[in-house]
Amino acid sequence: MFRTIFIVVVALAIALGGGAYSAWYAVNDFDGFGALKAGDWTAYPLEGTHEADPYSRARTAREGALPLGSAEGIAFYAYADHRGEPLMRGCEYRIQGNSPPARFWTLHAADDALVPLIPRAGLPEALHSEEVIRRQDGTYVIAIGPKPRPGNWLAVQGSGPLALVMTLYDTPVTGDSGLIGVTLPSISRVACDA
Amino acid sequence: MRSFLWALGLGLVGAGLVHIVIVLLVPVYADHNSWARVTALGAENQFHLLDQAGPADQRRETDPLLLRAACPFDLDNGPVRVFATGSVPFWSLSVFGRNGENVYSLNDRSSVDRRLDLVLAQPLQRIELEKSSVAQKTDSIVAELDIHKGFVVVRAFVPDESWRPIVTSFLHDAACAVTEP
Repeated sequence: MFRTIFIVVVALAIALGGGAYSAWYAVNDFDGFGALKAGDWTAYPLEGTHEADPYSRARTAREGALPLGSAEGIAFYAYADHRGEPLMRGCEYRIQGNSPPARFWTLHAADDALVPLIPRAGLPEALHSEEVIRRQDGTYVIAIGPKPRPGNWLAVQGSGPLALVMTLYDTPVTGDSGLIGVTLPSISRVACDA
Repeated sequence: MRSFLWALGLGLVGAGLVHIVIVLLVPVYADHNSWARVTALGAENQFHLLDQAGPADQRRETDPLLLRAACPFDLDNGPVRVFATGSVPFWSLSVFGRNGENVYSLNDRSSVDRRLDLVLAQPLQRIELEKSSVAQKTDSIVAELDIHKGFVVVRAFVPDESWRPIVTSFLHDAACAVTEP
């Protein structure tokens, strides 16, 4: 009798505790099965669609996100540099290369919850492809960090983790075939103040 | 010892079931989902600007260079015509169902003269629309959607600050009213 109660209580505790904790962890931190890596960047092309996996769906519902539709564009996120070191707001980075074909793209800095960072007054929150200065071969170099730099510069102040978001609008990349062989610019760390 | 292993095994199987049930139920019970957010902005069949300067959790995953407006609708009241005048550098839109699922998307390149003129209709309403003369007179794109309640989100690009008032009035004046077949 006592043994049966013991089994039931332990089993229930493991089931409820373990199930709830693992579900909470998966919904908040698990990338889902639909994540697509392109160099230092990751995109979630199925987010918000009927084909999204249950984890991605649960997260979209919890965050109340309004993900871009496939005809609108696609967002790529980077949390680490080329060597795998996490991006930090106190550091200076250089983005170099080219973007996949798109009508235009934008680049902005965000915190680790993907809330856009607001730089000090007078500085732009984001850069876009129509204002970026390019080199002769069409590629570009963008400096990211607290110190002003000549050429393309995205100001980022403060401290803490940093995420970079590059959004491509009106792009064939969102199609089913488009994501193979997509190359995005590489992110390298120049220096760190801290 | 054996009974403890029994309990452990049962518990793990149960944990798996609880995990699956919670993950599947989150979208049903999430109270801060996109539908709740959009309907909190105001009445149906009107566009409401989503504030760029709102609290942090409303600004997450937004692009600072794009302004957004959302309009909740109910297709059971009739087909909805989404319409805007004015010329902006880029606009795109997505239609979401009540459950926050993206069911349709479009950008200005896919529409006639880059104008925003779209009719959302259920399958039966679409047949009615095609029989009527209204559809033949206008260049509206007709999107057939098998949903009841839902919302449209229109995004428009602000390349620099001089465009902001133009893009804001484009979104502010956009209409999303029920149209008679």
